[in-house]
Formats: sequence, C-alpha cells, structure tokens
Amino acid sequence: MKKVKIFFNIEKEEQWLNSQLQKGYRCTNVSSLGVYTFEKSDVEYVMRLDYQERLTGQRLEEYKGIYEDFGWRYVKGTPLNGIRYWQKKNDHRNEIFSDRDSKANYYQRLMKYSFWLGTMCLTFSFLLYSDTGLYHENIWRMEGSMFWKAFIFETPFVVLKLFPLLLVGFFSSSYYTAYRQHRALKEN
Amino acid sequence: MKHKLLPLSETMHYILLALREPLHGYAVMQKIEEISNGTVILAAGTLYGAIENMSKHEWIEPVGNSGRRKMYMITAEGRRILQVEQDRLLHILSLYEGSESDEEG
Repeated sequence: MKKVKIFFNIEKEEQWLNSQLQKGYRCTNVSSLGVYTFEKSDVEYVMRLDYQERLTGQRLEEYKGIYEDFGWRYVKGTPLNGIRYWQKKNDHRNEIFSDRDSKANYYQRLMKYSFWLGTMCLTFSFLLYSDTGLYHENIWRMEGSMFWKAFIFETPFVVLKLFPLLLVGFFSSSYYTAYRQHRALKEN
Repeated sequence: MKHKLLPLSETMHYILLALREPLHGYAVMQKIEEISNGTVILAAGTLYGAIENMSKHEWIEPVGNSGRRKMYMITAEGRRILQVEQDRLLHILSLYEGSESDEEG
C-alpha cells in the first residue's frame, strides 16, 4: 500500500507513521517526494525520526551501527534533508533519546534545519517577486468580462507563484515549534 | 571559563566512568545499566550524540575495532575532567556530612 503525504513538521510525521503502525501497517520505504510504502504486519512496531545532517560514508555506518545494536532498523535516510527513519519492535525501550540534553540538541538541529530551508525559500521568493508583479500589468486596464476572464485565467499561476512564500510560512511555523520545545527542555 | 559540558550530565559522567576500559557503543550502555544498578539506561541517539560530542572534545578516543564496531576509551584529558568532577562532588558530599553548627562557625 502506498500513501502520499507532505509534512513540514517532523514530529507530526512521526505521529502519523506511528498511527499507521497502530492500524497494523508497517512503513517499509519513504521516498523523497513524500510517497510512503506500507505493508500489513502482525508484529507491533514503533517508529522514531531522528535528524542528522551530512552523515555519509564511514560516519553514517557508525551512526547506523550504534542504532542497529539497540535493535533499530534503518528504514530510510534522505540525504537531502537529513531525516532518519528508524523502526523497531515495540518493547519497553522505544525511545531514541534517554535524557533531556540529547532531546534538546535534537530540537536545536530541527531549528537549524527549518531556519535554512525557510531562508532559502525566502530568498527564492524575493528573486521571484522582485522583477514582476503577481498579475500582468495590463490586466488592471481591462474592463468587465474581459477583466474577469483574464483574472480567472491568471489566478492559478499567481497561486503557483506564491508557493515559495507559503513554504516560508510552513518552515517558520516548524522552526517556532522546535524552538518552543527546545526552550521548554532548557528551562526546566 | 568553565567548560561548556561542565558540570557533567549524568549521561556523560557514566560514559566517562564506563570508558576507563575500552568498550564499543552498545557495551557502554550495558556497562552503565549494570554500574548504575539499572537506573540509567541510555537510548541509541543519546549515546551516539554523547560519543560524538566527547570525541570532538577529545575526552574519549577510538582505540580499534571489535568486528564492525568501534571501541572507545577515555583519554588523559577525559581523566582530568573526571578528577575535576570528583573534587567537586567530594566537596558537596563534605557539606552533606558537616553539621550545621560548623557551617555557622
């Protein structure tokens, strides 16, 4: 079974994957384009998402080696954005972080991730919007049904053009979520 | 200024103590479970992060392999950190043991 879903919040993604597990579906693959592959499973599993950037070659093997010793199976890592998908059989040791510091560091990595993606989208938005208006200029000189036809025709393109700005919004909100979690852990 | 990892967190403290003998990652977790009487059970991500962090500060170092697993051990700098922590904790313990009249005097 395949499902397509896009997440901007790694914790929501983790919750969703675990809710699928509770329905008896185990995630076997995640593609970069947001396609999740599931298979029916009788065994109870849990899934945890870690975020680790720039892990390649030997360092990636060491990282995977430690998790695998603890019984985790590496479902997928997306080298482009650094999210690492881990799955293991449900027992009493289901967490990947056992202390406050490491959990806070995890939120700090997430903050950095959202910040850079958000900044990238913002830069892209500026480049996209600085040289042209959202609609063609002469559309405002049209009248009556001519105007409305052109307006309706152009609107889907305008929505498409606004997409990077929408992404800026999503990444800002996931930055803020991670920031609040990080602060809560550091304060107590 | 005091090192940013000081005073040591319980996790780091136990890892440094466990690595006075060479061990690989998973064995560090097992050793700590044993010496803490089952009260400290490290998770994979926490152990990985701590090993990365302490290797970066050269408190521990790789000392060969056991199969595909890397073995780690405490360095001289790591032992110095443990000494600093021991002195700090001994001082606090002495405050526990002293009577209140001593503190006033």
